[in-house]
Amino acid sequence: MLNHYNTGVFFDEMMEDNGNPKRHYRSFYQLMENFSEKELREKHETAQLNFLRQGITFTVYNHTGGTERTMPFDFVPIIIPEPQWNKVEEGMKQRIKALNLFLEDIYHDQKIIEAGIIPRDLIENNPYYYNKQIGGVNVPLNNHVFLAGVDLIKDENGDYRVLEDNLRNPSGMSYVFQNRYVMRQVYPELFFEHSIETLEHQVSELHKAVISHTPPNAEPQSTPTAVLLTPGIYNSAYYDHVFLAQQMGIELVEGRDLIVKDDVAYMKTIRGLKRVDIIYRRIDDDFLDPEAFRPDSALGVSGLLRAYKKGNVAILNGIGNGVADDKAIYVYVPDMIRFYLDEEPIIPNVETYFLSDPEKLEYVLENIDQLVIKNVGASGGYDMLIGPQSEPEEQNEFRRKIIEAPHQYIAQPTIKLSRAPAYQEGRFYPCHVDLRVFVMTGDYTHVIPGGLSRVALKEGSLVVNSSQGGGGKDTWILSEGGETHA
Amino acid sequence: MLSRVADSLYWMARNIERAENNSRVLSVQLIHMLEASDQEVMDRDWGEVLDICASKLDYMDRYERIDRETIIQYLTISPVNDNSLMNSMNYARENARATRDIIPNELWEILNEFHLAQKDWQELPNTRQHTQEYLKKVKTTSMTAQGIIESTMSRGIPYTFIKVGKWIERADKTARVLNVICEKNRKESSYGTNNYYYWLTALQFLHGYDAYIKEHPPTMESRHVLDFMIKERSFPRSIRYCMDHVMEAVQRLEGGKISHYSKDLFQMLETIQEEIKEADIEHMDMEELMSFLDHFQDRCLTVSRMFSETYYLIEPVHVR
Repeated sequence: MLNHYNTGVFFDEMMEDNGNPKRHYRSFYQLMENFSEKELREKHETAQLNFLRQGITFTVYNHTGGTERTMPFDFVPIIIPEPQWNKVEEGMKQRIKALNLFLEDIYHDQKIIEAGIIPRDLIENNPYYYNKQIGGVNVPLNNHVFLAGVDLIKDENGDYRVLEDNLRNPSGMSYVFQNRYVMRQVYPELFFEHSIETLEHQVSELHKAVISHTPPNAEPQSTPTAVLLTPGIYNSAYYDHVFLAQQMGIELVEGRDLIVKDDVAYMKTIRGLKRVDIIYRRIDDDFLDPEAFRPDSALGVSGLLRAYKKGNVAILNGIGNGVADDKAIYVYVPDMIRFYLDEEPIIPNVETYFLSDPEKLEYVLENIDQLVIKNVGASGGYDMLIGPQSEPEEQNEFRRKIIEAPHQYIAQPTIKLSRAPAYQEGRFYPCHVDLRVFVMTGDYTHVIPGGLSRVALKEGSLVVNSSQGGGGKDTWILSEGGETHA
Repeated sequence: MLSRVADSLYWMARNIERAENNSRVLSVQLIHMLEASDQEVMDRDWGEVLDICASKLDYMDRYERIDRETIIQYLTISPVNDNSLMNSMNYARENARATRDIIPNELWEILNEFHLAQKDWQELPNTRQHTQEYLKKVKTTSMTAQGIIESTMSRGIPYTFIKVGKWIERADKTARVLNVICEKNRKESSYGTNNYYYWLTALQFLHGYDAYIKEHPPTMESRHVLDFMIKERSFPRSIRYCMDHVMEAVQRLEGGKISHYSKDLFQMLETIQEEIKEADIEHMDMEELMSFLDHFQDRCLTVSRMFSETYYLIEPVHVR
């Protein structure tokens, strides 16, 4: 079936250059060979319909309003041998620990600035640094990052690297579960002869992590009341919110369901007001409390920040996390790991040049056609240059922008993102993939085995984002019969 | 339970029930239409259907004349009619979507499936056959939804809010249909010919023909029909049955106790039960019956409002 499959110059998750499957994909490859073309096509259809029928959709907005779409699902899983996964797991725990210490530090003592590791400007000029609002506030467990989604890629040597940290409202966890669910429904045969880490109990780990953030002034005897705060049914990640609230057995609330009275948060129930202790919010900081942030926010709750500062309610993820996951701070995460933990990073960053450094600046201006340039404050592919795919005019434009505001930009070498086979429209072809790993922290840190493998289904595309034609794959941690990639 | 969620469940149930009832009325009318020959009679019949399923006044404001195809479109898939089947089903789905963490997954899926199929319906040519199929789809979706609710939901608070919505909506619709038919009877009592046909229609609109005919074979007397549809204890679409069940549901919600906040609601429900019991349907003339039914429809509005106030219900979710 993969007869005409060409791995090219990229690292392929499944296939060797010589056309044979990698060792940890051998069983899968054989099982897959048993399918006829007709079966493959039918199963593919069934899988897509499954998502649509269950309404596992995200909303794409354009000028005519919103359309509900499903994220395309691809059945070829990303298989990761356990020893390799163990390293990722350790790397993630280390990284999140350091990022959390960093957040605690910059909202309190600012030792890392005193030590000259990170320039003060970089933090104080960051639009998501909310020191005025929450500086000096102690949060439960001193934990700011309850749930992180770390995006990993593999380079041309097959080594994992961190592309991005998401410490605010990482979404997509429901897809990890739904991809597995649909996979088991539609492709049960493929699970034979494989011993895969199960995803059962992962939601109870998440629930445990939520509940462990009891605010200091919660009633000591009773179990704390936790809620998930959603912007509502029109939010593009609404399904994610529904799924997590439902699975954890906590109320799914909107801003209008909450009220703060005498600095205590309550939800409005049919029996009157009920005290809320922990809010897992899926609303950005800006919209959380019109009193403290954007006054025009209709999604938030007035007075929530006061309740938070008084220790009457816990808010997860912590307020002000945005200062730790932008593109400029990213560069310093390895230094954070060294500074706070006195360790070397287990999973490295993608090499990144800071353009305020005159030496790097010169190098970047000369080699702009080989590099990716990103605006540190932008996201979603805006204000970005992919050197090898750009015209000289665009390059000049960016040279000009960089010289004008060098601190606003970073540069990275264009990485040959790894690829894996995808089956769409009746044929297999190689597509770029990445992996979002979910790291949850309460009394201890836990990493969901696997995570959300995202795939750029448009041939040659590097964009895995679901709003731009990206799809999802199941991710298997193989507990036996695998082999670490050397 | 959150007030907003309770409210969405209540309106989800009302919208599903409304869509089912309206599709039945329209479906019956599409059959009757085939046998009518007089244009004037036909226009009048359509006017009544409009009054039962939406508002004739609103319709006339917009279109100015009775036109069959326009009315069918208005009642089925029109976005401008708040009570069109499409809108009711969309509201129900949006309400279900806002309570997905509470309701059975299958309930969401059945409403979502209807929504997904809706796009195809809109593109089909507007033939009688397609319209009937669409109406049937609405009815089976509603019935499947009720089956899922009955067979999978715990008899707790969410279930109770769903049921209260359904019973109030149904009682109100029954009163509305009877009211329209009484009005028709009153106007034409001088001729006294088509009585049989009118009351048959009422029973068909209300899905009560089969049950009625078993009790009263094979007559079709107005006072029997009215008594059956208003006071029959055992028929699940009669006004009395619906209101008894609203009462029962609220009692379950309150664990059999009457508290200061629920006192008014209980009092109102008791008054209504009393009024139904006391009504001497057999000896009322059409005039009196209509005012009884008008009064009952006002009562439905009051109960709905009181119920919302008692449980702090807020504005329902509406499609943007």
